[in-house]
Amino acid sequence: MSLPQFNLLRPRILEDALSLLAKHAGESPASTRVVAGGTDLIPSMRQKLFEPEYVVDVHHLAGLKEIRQTARGVEIGALASLTAIEQSALLRRRYPVLSEAAATVASPLLRNMGTIGGNICLDTRCLWYNQSPTWRKGCGFCIKKDGDLCHVAPGGTTCWAAFSGDTPPALLCLEAEVEIASASGTRRIPLSELYTGDGVAYRKLRPDELLTRVFLPESSADYRGVYRKLRVRGSIDYPLAGVAVVMKGSDGHIADARLAITAVNPAPLLVKGVSELLTGKAMDESLAAAAGDLAAKIARPLTTSALTPEYRREMIRVFAKRAVLAAAEN
Amino acid sequence: MTDFSVIGKPIAMIDAAGKTTGAGKYTDDLSVPGMLVGRILHSPYPHARIKRIDTSRAEKLEGVVAVAIGKDAPNTYGILPVGHDEHALALDKVRYVGDNVACVAAVDEATADRALELIDVEYEVLPAYFDPEESMKAETDLIHDNKPHNLEKDYHHVFGDPDKGFAEADCVAEARFVAGEVTHAAMEPHSTLASFEIDSQTGKPGRLIVWSSTQVPYYLQHKLSLVLDVPMAQIRVIKPLVGGGFGGKSEVIPLEIIAAIAARKARAPVKITYTREEVFWAHRGRPRTLIDLKTGVKRDGSITAVKARVMQDGGAYCSYGVVTILYSGALLGALYDIPNIQYDGYRVLTNKPACGAMRGHGTVNVRFAFESQLDELAARINLDPAEIRRRNLLKAPCVTVNGLRVQSYGLPECIEKTIERSGWRDRKGKLGKGRGLGIACSHYVSGAANSIIRSDMPHSTVNIKIDRDGGVVVYTGASEIGQGSDTMTAQIAAETLGCSLGRIRIVAADTDLTPIDIGSYSSRVTFMAGNATLRAAVEVKKQIASAAARKMGCTADDLVFRDDLVVRKKLAGESHAATLVSAAVPSEASVSERVEGQILRGSLQQKRKDEGPKDSMSFEEAVVAAIDFHGTLTGTGSYAPPAEARGGKHKGGGVGPSPAYSYSAQVAEVSVDEGTGEVTVHKVWAAHDCGRALNPVSVEGQIIGSVWMGMGQALTEEMVWKDGMLMNPGLLEYRSPSSVESPEVEPIIVESIDPEGPFGAKECSEGSLAATIPAIANAIFDAVGVRMHESPFTPERVLAALRAKKNAKPINLTDGVDPTNPARFREHGGSLWFKGKGPERHALDPSRLAAPLEAGGDD
Repeated sequence: MSLPQFNLLRPRILEDALSLLAKHAGESPASTRVVAGGTDLIPSMRQKLFEPEYVVDVHHLAGLKEIRQTARGVEIGALASLTAIEQSALLRRRYPVLSEAAATVASPLLRNMGTIGGNICLDTRCLWYNQSPTWRKGCGFCIKKDGDLCHVAPGGTTCWAAFSGDTPPALLCLEAEVEIASASGTRRIPLSELYTGDGVAYRKLRPDELLTRVFLPESSADYRGVYRKLRVRGSIDYPLAGVAVVMKGSDGHIADARLAITAVNPAPLLVKGVSELLTGKAMDESLAAAAGDLAAKIARPLTTSALTPEYRREMIRVFAKRAVLAAAEN
Repeated sequence: MTDFSVIGKPIAMIDAAGKTTGAGKYTDDLSVPGMLVGRILHSPYPHARIKRIDTSRAEKLEGVVAVAIGKDAPNTYGILPVGHDEHALALDKVRYVGDNVACVAAVDEATADRALELIDVEYEVLPAYFDPEESMKAETDLIHDNKPHNLEKDYHHVFGDPDKGFAEADCVAEARFVAGEVTHAAMEPHSTLASFEIDSQTGKPGRLIVWSSTQVPYYLQHKLSLVLDVPMAQIRVIKPLVGGGFGGKSEVIPLEIIAAIAARKARAPVKITYTREEVFWAHRGRPRTLIDLKTGVKRDGSITAVKARVMQDGGAYCSYGVVTILYSGALLGALYDIPNIQYDGYRVLTNKPACGAMRGHGTVNVRFAFESQLDELAARINLDPAEIRRRNLLKAPCVTVNGLRVQSYGLPECIEKTIERSGWRDRKGKLGKGRGLGIACSHYVSGAANSIIRSDMPHSTVNIKIDRDGGVVVYTGASEIGQGSDTMTAQIAAETLGCSLGRIRIVAADTDLTPIDIGSYSSRVTFMAGNATLRAAVEVKKQIASAAARKMGCTADDLVFRDDLVVRKKLAGESHAATLVSAAVPSEASVSERVEGQILRGSLQQKRKDEGPKDSMSFEEAVVAAIDFHGTLTGTGSYAPPAEARGGKHKGGGVGPSPAYSYSAQVAEVSVDEGTGEVTVHKVWAAHDCGRALNPVSVEGQIIGSVWMGMGQALTEEMVWKDGMLMNPGLLEYRSPSSVESPEVEPIIVESIDPEGPFGAKECSEGSLAATIPAIANAIFDAVGVRMHESPFTPERVLAALRAKKNAKPINLTDGVDPTNPARFREHGGSLWFKGKGPERHALDPSRLAAPLEAGGDD
């Protein structure tokens, strides 16, 4: 499958990138796409899911690859590769859940190319969407692209394509914030506010904006962390369900805990009530099971990927329980 | 053990360097001047009549040279003479999503892609059939008008007296098994480059030259001739390097003919390379199969009767289907001694891509069912699963009840070695919670004894030419597809002629240069092309020997050819040690000697004429002596299976017979996560009787590859359909195992030395696959006590089985189908199902027209 024709723009500094985005995004929202590692965008462009007039390659922008300690926590440039996240001694020591999640993304080769910013901005996925134009024509297209039908929730009017990034649930547990830049300035928002819960407009990022940095607050450092990923193969696969847990203990009791899920909804979700459920208690099987039930309650998998939705929801329950137990034992 | 110098040695594939450095050329690497790119328009509907095609808008696009449609080559073809039901480009009907409608030849891929969008096709959508059991009830809107009830073919065989056999049984098991649909997933997508030569006399397009990723150049030449109405002599098919076939390139794939049609219309060379999605649509993989199996055993474990009803969801065209459904029945025999067999096989047409031949053609799914059921019976009569297999061994040499001749039979040794190496006796049942061992056996043909195109021609012919330079050129039609065909040919020629491997040049798979060979499939190459090579080499050797004997003043029988020397027998033993050292690794000195030898050949010969008889000559000297006498040395050898091996006379009896069968036994060690249903394979011990291992490292590679591919089918690989749409037409969603979950495989070579195989060799590339699936299934039972009757054993299926066994809170994980007793057939195999009414289809779909969209409900 050939790539559609586009103009490749390769700015060297952030200001140029932002002004190019400002200039071209104004023409129409679909006219530009940003590419960094390209592991998500390039296959999708071959499938004609995106046919932008301009592709802004930000991969070589200076100053957006560092992972560094600051007074308020750790700052990660959006262009840091997933391999760098996986191998960073600083992150492994202080925010282990993030390194563990990054290590499960796709395969080593793809992690070398893929960036943390790309993993956060990953397009939502669905078996009825990530297909060739001929294929999509055969099913009458879908809400997310070129059509008005939803195949996973027949008769529905919203898109249920699943958010399938591995690092965002870990980042949600760490209460990460992201910096979003545009020609008119930068803003900083909690990561949880980036996602909408809708499969089509899944992130609040204007076409002229660029996600530039990720901040991990000092208050989230030194939590024990566990990421558990359901997949058919031990490599390559996107998550079919994913659970991240962070936990802090004192005197055999849980001092604080957070749990987030991915790949079963159009957005990664922090599971509410987990901290309240676990804090102050000693970990045991039934407590872990209760955390699993909380997670499964908000999981809403549909037939967007392999394995049945019922199984994936059940695995959110099982994986959440196991992750909580593992975090308590760490 | 016989002492060989080339045979039996671990030798690197002779084409390995080109493949590993990237210097080797596959079809898609090729280009010729003026070459255009072809892209194919595929049907978006599973079943529709084409009312009108308008290509005018596409033709007007800048850069488009031609647009070919069905009318440009309306002749039908098909791989089997009984199944000529395909058009390269659809003439009046499309029969699956992905069927071929038109082809654009343009200056580049992007232009061709754009032109596809400008082709207007008006379809009349027809009711489609996706479930074989439903399809067989069809009265109207048949997929092919001449196939009532969409039944491609059915066979009903009875051997012995099955009713009597079941009456004699002490224990009878009966169950349904369902095996999911899988495909080859070869790394190289299909690719074809077609080019017409300009005829020098007429200035018009003359001969057609086709480079293609094919397992059988001869079949391609034959079908091109049929479809294009061009004599075979005007077509040359060349096979460049092929990146894996596994059966997916063993028949003529639409693009191979479409490229030629487009090249003819465009009056320019056209290359088409499939996208991965198109490879899935071309398919020809292993059909989803329903197996209703009944087996009876006596208390001592001996099998009294087997009854199998097999239904295959064959897709929209015949392909190899008739052969597949026959193999499924025939190869119930020749593994164990089964006195009574009843077989009912149904090959059914559905509106999906055609299934065809895939590694272990026809046997794999039935073997999964049989070996699983045998395990169940062993448990019921309280016999060790390895022991029940040993109680049913054939007494070879013999002819089975269904007419299969078995000569060499290494199964007993395969079973013994696997249970010994795996520690079966000590470890079985003692691995702790959730971990277990399973055993299973399998077998396969070493080539079909009867060619699919009925004729008296040899199945393989090989020519050898040796000229004064002492180089040995072997011309063979056998197709190297990564399995080691060329290396095997070189080894047999070198061993027979007693020369070093470096002397051999292989010219293969080019219909202008090489004799007809019916190709690389059904594991026939080593046995058949190997025997032909052996015979050709023997013929040439005779000519050399007679000339050398004359020079040396002895008889030809008195000479030994070995290590680039021709030596008198009495001396062969003495000089052997020394020559081995010097010939095994050609030193720089010996290379320069050879060069010098060529330059000084004339004077040396003169000098040697003056000398008296000698006790030894170099291979080159002997060759020169023979050429002086005969002219350039040539020899031809051919192979046709013997009449005794060609099987019974019953209808369909031609499929299954082989001159020799390979045998396998495997033990798999797995663990099962009882909370998630995930199965991990830790190790597989795989013994394979390949007759003689001509190249042990290559045999081990084939065994490991078979186990790995079988494990994919057992655990992760499945083509998932919804209303004829293939939901996973890519290697991301069609999950072949990655290196992470690939277990250690311990290959164990068993050599039964077949009396008719070349140096005793049989097949080694397919037989092992079929044992892996039931070995894993049986190991799952040993680990957690559930019998998986539906493959692949995905975590949801295993978990559903586990929860049902434990009477845990029911969760409908698998569409209400019990994977230990799958009563229903499901198009999507269960991994994709919908509560409620399921997805809407395209606006033109009749089901949507009949029932307009209802509002509300998003689940």
